[in-house]
Amino acid sequence: MDAFTISVLSNIGLFSFLAISAWVLLICGEISFGQQAYFAIGAYAGGIATAVWQWPFALGVGFGVVLGAVIGGLVAWPTTRLSGMHYAIATLAFAEFVRSCLNVFSYQREVDGYLTGPDGANGFRDIRWAYEAGVEPLGYLGIIAAGLAAVIGLIACMARGRGMAQLRIVGEDPILAGMQGLNVNRIRIAAATLAGGIAALGGALYAHLATYVEPAQFGVMIGVHSLAYGLIGGLGTVFGPILGVLVDIGLLESLRVFSSYRMIVFGGLVALVLILRPRGILDEKTVRRIQAWLRR
Amino acid sequence: MLTLENLSKHFGGVRAVDDVSLTISEGEIFGLIGPNGSGKSTIINLITGLYVPTAGKVTLDGWDLTAMAQHERTSVGVARTFQNIRLFGNLSVAQNLWVAQNGHEQRRAHFLSRWFKAGGEHAPDVEELLRFSQLHSKRDVQASALSFGEMRRLEMARALASNPRVLLLDEPAAGASLEDGQLLAERIRAVRDRGVTVLLIEHMMELVMGITDRIAVLNFGRKIAEGSPTEVQANEDVRAAYLGSSHKKEKLIHA
Repeated sequence: MDAFTISVLSNIGLFSFLAISAWVLLICGEISFGQQAYFAIGAYAGGIATAVWQWPFALGVGFGVVLGAVIGGLVAWPTTRLSGMHYAIATLAFAEFVRSCLNVFSYQREVDGYLTGPDGANGFRDIRWAYEAGVEPLGYLGIIAAGLAAVIGLIACMARGRGMAQLRIVGEDPILAGMQGLNVNRIRIAAATLAGGIAALGGALYAHLATYVEPAQFGVMIGVHSLAYGLIGGLGTVFGPILGVLVDIGLLESLRVFSSYRMIVFGGLVALVLILRPRGILDEKTVRRIQAWLRR
Repeated sequence: MLTLENLSKHFGGVRAVDDVSLTISEGEIFGLIGPNGSGKSTIINLITGLYVPTAGKVTLDGWDLTAMAQHERTSVGVARTFQNIRLFGNLSVAQNLWVAQNGHEQRRAHFLSRWFKAGGEHAPDVEELLRFSQLHSKRDVQASALSFGEMRRLEMARALASNPRVLLLDEPAAGASLEDGQLLAERIRAVRDRGVTVLLIEHMMELVMGITDRIAVLNFGRKIAEGSPTEVQANEDVRAAYLGSSHKKEKLIHA
């Protein structure tokens, strides 16, 4: 594989975490424009753990995931009482809040004679685990793929168990879900925790690939895109948001034909899909049909 | 067992339910009838927690339902169906039953293991309910693709899946033919024979008079009569409410 293909595939993998994170909340009936906040939290926490504290890679990434999940749950605790547009605005506000905080967040320590750590708006340099451990880009792509496989596996377990169905019924009709004896608030908080953890995993992996992160990278547009991926790809399966990422990054961003028209084509695509297939390309009905066909 | 004590619900100046007291005994099929807008559905909404009462309370075996959150009421044994069917249209028939079944087991360990544990769709209770509601052949069909009658059956089965002690049926025969009504009557009796107490709101009088043990009649939010089907049918006030006397007609126009 040439370097370009590897970098495109890595990008697709990393954005998939964000897209799945927003998708989990979409399933639950909540529109979040703010999952980039947890991506940023994962990136910074993971980076600090390995670069400043010199933790092993897996532990550092794990720390980012836990922090993202916990903060996701904590933020959900008051915001699950909101719905629709109000919830969307709250998530947007929180994401901007996190970005502003990172702009003034300095935490530098001397490591091997160099000052290492986030330095406000100047960003966070030298997250060099991959370089120091001698992991090639192709090897790192394997790590990203493994992380993504773990997330897909977790969601698959939930789809076999009661978890995914509970998220879906809360998303479809929260009042009726409450009448089935479900604690709707608790399920929403669980979904936000899960979504925060998934986005943070993507962020932690991103930081170690890029070796440099800065607050400006975690802007609103990333959040809008990750939401759109699920809406394009479909709400019926976890492969929906990944399909959305493939279409956007794989086709629009990477093919030179589209390069200058990417946003125009992407915006048009979102509008078109929402009109023709309100629940995305791989919506519940399609997925059910594919499952029935596979079972035969 | 299910008791309404001086229950009232006012929407501004409208007294949708006005000082209604009822006692429904265990194992009974209790009918609640009255003209349109007399407060029948409001009472169900008060029992299930969709509305907060203006005054009075509802108890189930001494449990004060009005003090409980909606999902807690399900766990002490209240279930309902809706006048306009409400299903989870994006889930399959079996999944609709499975998520409702013991959904209230919210102990943390259960909550997490159930989130990830497979096979619940094939639990014996789900299979039994599928057979009970004659939906076995449709188990993997998306709920929104069912016929009207099947949706009604699924809705009742879903209410039963939470293992209720009281089932509140809000016009289950709406849109059904007379024949369907007879099948429905058998099904409601079968529900009672499972040990579930039934509160039935219905306009189809053949159905109500045929299967209920006792009936209460509401008019303008107030209880105007209570008794066996024959007693209620003979009651002057009830006749006036349904057929209208000149006095009542005037009241209707002003309402």
